[in-house]
Amino acid sequence: MAQNKKILDARNIYTYFYTESGVVEALDGVSFDVNYGEPVGIVGESGCGKTVTAHSTLRILPKNGKTVAGDIIYKGVNLLDLPDLQMRRIRGKEIAMIFQDPMTSLNPIFKVSDQMTEVIALHRKCNKKEALEIAIETLDQVGISEAEKRITDYPHQFSGGMRQRILIARALALQPSLLIADEPTTALDVTIQAQVLEIIKEMQKKLGLAMMLITHNLGVVAETTKRVHIFYGGRVVESGPTEEIFLDPKHPYTYALFESIPSLEKDKTRLETIPGNVPRLINPPKGCRFHPRCKYATEICSRVRPPEFKFGKGRRVACHHFEELDLHIDMESIRESKAIKEEA
Amino acid sequence: MTTLEEYETIDLFSNWDQKTQPIITIDNLKKWFPVSQQSVLFSRVVANIKAVDGVNLFLNKGETLGLVGESGCGKSTTARVIVKLEKPTEGSIYFKGIDIFQPMSREEELAVKRQLQMVFQDPYSSLNPRRMVLDLIKEPFDIHYPDMLYEEKESRVLEILAKVGLEDYHALRYPHEFSGGQRQRLGIARALAIHPEVILLDEPVSALDVSVQAQILNLLHDLQKDFDLTFMFIAHDLSVIKHVSDRVAVMYLGKIMEMCPTGELFRKTAHPYSVSLLSAIPRPDPRIKMDRIILEGDVPSAINPPTGCPFHPRCYKAQEICSKVTPQLEELEPNHYVSCHFPEI
Ligand SMILES: Nc1ncnc2c1ncn2[C@@H]1O[C@H](COP(=O)(O)OP(=O)(O)OP(=O)(O)O)[C@@H](O)[C@H]1O
Ligand SMILES: Nc1ncnc2c1ncn2[C@@H]1O[C@H](COP(=O)(O)OP(=O)(O)O)[C@@H](O)[C@H]1O
Ligand code: SF4
Ligand code: SF4
Ligand SMILES: [Mg+2]
Ligand SMILES: [Mg+2]
Repeated sequence: MAQNKKILDARNIYTYFYTESGVVEALDGVSFDVNYGEPVGIVGESGCGKTVTAHSTLRILPKNGKTVAGDIIYKGVNLLDLPDLQMRRIRGKEIAMIFQDPMTSLNPIFKVSDQMTEVIALHRKCNKKEALEIAIETLDQVGISEAEKRITDYPHQFSGGMRQRILIARALALQPSLLIADEPTTALDVTIQAQVLEIIKEMQKKLGLAMMLITHNLGVVAETTKRVHIFYGGRVVESGPTEEIFLDPKHPYTYALFESIPSLEKDKTRLETIPGNVPRLINPPKGCRFHPRCKYATEICSRVRPPEFKFGKGRRVACHHFEELDLHIDMESIRESKAIKEEA
Repeated sequence: MTTLEEYETIDLFSNWDQKTQPIITIDNLKKWFPVSQQSVLFSRVVANIKAVDGVNLFLNKGETLGLVGESGCGKSTTARVIVKLEKPTEGSIYFKGIDIFQPMSREEELAVKRQLQMVFQDPYSSLNPRRMVLDLIKEPFDIHYPDMLYEEKESRVLEILAKVGLEDYHALRYPHEFSGGQRQRLGIARALAIHPEVILLDEPVSALDVSVQAQILNLLHDLQKDFDLTFMFIAHDLSVIKHVSDRVAVMYLGKIMEMCPTGELFRKTAHPYSVSLLSAIPRPDPRIKMDRIILEGDVPSAINPPTGCPFHPRCYKAQEICSKVTPQLEELEPNHYVSCHFPEI
């Protein structure tokens, strides 16, 4: 039964890039899942493998990249075993993707109508005229006013926020079951980001879409997703319900990350920092990839890959010292001390 | 070693009273960029990008003023005019009481520039890739202290590298050999080298990973204390601004909407744009459920900014007068400046 809840179940994916300076171990045994109708967050700093995860799932890696091991089960079928032709039908129609850079994913020399109707006609098996109607309707749904007039404009005639809406509309018009959104609001200003997130949330609910929201913005994840997978250095270090992880992170990296971000709830003080830099994935650290930066690291951490501990309602943590550490962020006391200060 | 101050030959700023006067005062600053139409015979100006369109603000000695606003609202341009990388179209900038755009000798010009330094947003493109770190950081000494001995310059470079958390051997490396966070340390070292009074930090952490951002923010915090620096900290991330600033100025379409102590911006938000901006920030706490003000439409173009209050087409409080009369930045409560006809306080 539990099996049927999952629309996407990725197990132990290894994706490598073969470059002149060596093999980039971009995904090193990544496992994650997405349930039907569920918005899931993929979170991590730059270079930790978020985009590669999405590209591996859709099998759109560049030539020098290859998923060398693992299973990516979508609706019971292993995508990694599918013939190319069938995989092509999955893309767009079943799994749609919104890319990181809204400027480059629309072709500047074609009208928006051309860029939408063709794929719609193809995947929804309808004629051009019906496709145009569908396109206008979805543009209207994502808040492009006067859609029937504006659809014949070129991409540069739209602002960044509107272009991102067009991409959302194009993805949704194909009625996919799973939407992968890679940093859909990173390039946008906060007030525009708020507009676009609102639309994504609304459409996700209305259509009952499963969604993988990829982002490094912890605020965006907190507000948009129910469950989250935290990535570090090409691995998933922690997974579980968003609310639980945000209030009570258990992996030393997740914990340190939350402590190191300035937030509106904190005051002007020194921040907790994580020493060093995010690891490069050619010759990454042995054992736990976080060990050179982890203040709890012991000898075993630098040698042995940490096992995964499962606990609570679907939480997973990959850390040798998970059991002894018992990390705990005391949000209540933060809130209280703030309240006291404000009264004073 | 002699102190850098002993190299000073002119004393331009003797009239400045640091107890009563801000270190920098900006008065009705405008910076317009002409847009011209080219034809075979002539080129004529058809419009102006009003990047900065009447900015008033001030910086007190030793404080951090956060300058926040969405992209294109004129933050960088304001900073670039302050460090004299651009000439104003209109208005004045006073540094320690002196109008820095009045005619002055080359010596005086250098004396001003020495004290006003800038750190740029993109640590990748703001450092010349072909120059060794030693030369990059030595350059300000070459310009400002040509008579200083090579050995002294060198030891000063090493000293400043240590201050920003880098090692001696880094001096012999090239920018591409550094990570993003380290490159930002280089940018800071370069600005800091000649002991300026004021550093304008243009989005110094926007390009960095979150875990590295905290290191740089802490570094800036420590340097400010050690060197008694005044910062103007530009950012679009209000959480960062809240963290670093003593006071905040909120900018929209080339104008200052609100300027006040940081705490007040959050507790006593006065300008409808500030209210909307605050409400738009996604909060990293799943328990916070808020009624968000979703602004309609986009930031209008700086070529044809709206008449009257530039925020009126998107403002939830706009009345007829807002599109006709431009509100002026006024001190509504002590140290709380707002430009709005119907402020929330
Ligand atoms: N075509 C490629 N060739 C070589 N290495 C690559 C290639 N694409 C990605 N990588 C490497 O794989 C790792 C993961 O990259 P990925 O793009 O998934 O990061 P990300 O988590 O999406 O980061 P960001 O937040 O910057 O988008 C990085 O180390 C990256 O340098
Ligand atoms: N050299 C320039 N020539 C023409 N337009 C410019 C130039 N520099 C900035 N602008 C324009 O001025 C406006 C403000 O820019 P900027 O100060 O860089 O904004 P911010 O730093 O707040 O994002 C923008 O519309 C920008 O495109
Ligand atoms: S396994 Fe060791 S190094 Fe890795 S997070 Fe846990 S304690 Fe830190
Ligand atoms: S002046 Fe009018 S339009 Fe402008 S912010 Fe105030 S109320 Fe809104
Ligand atoms: Mg990415
Ligand atoms: Mg800028």
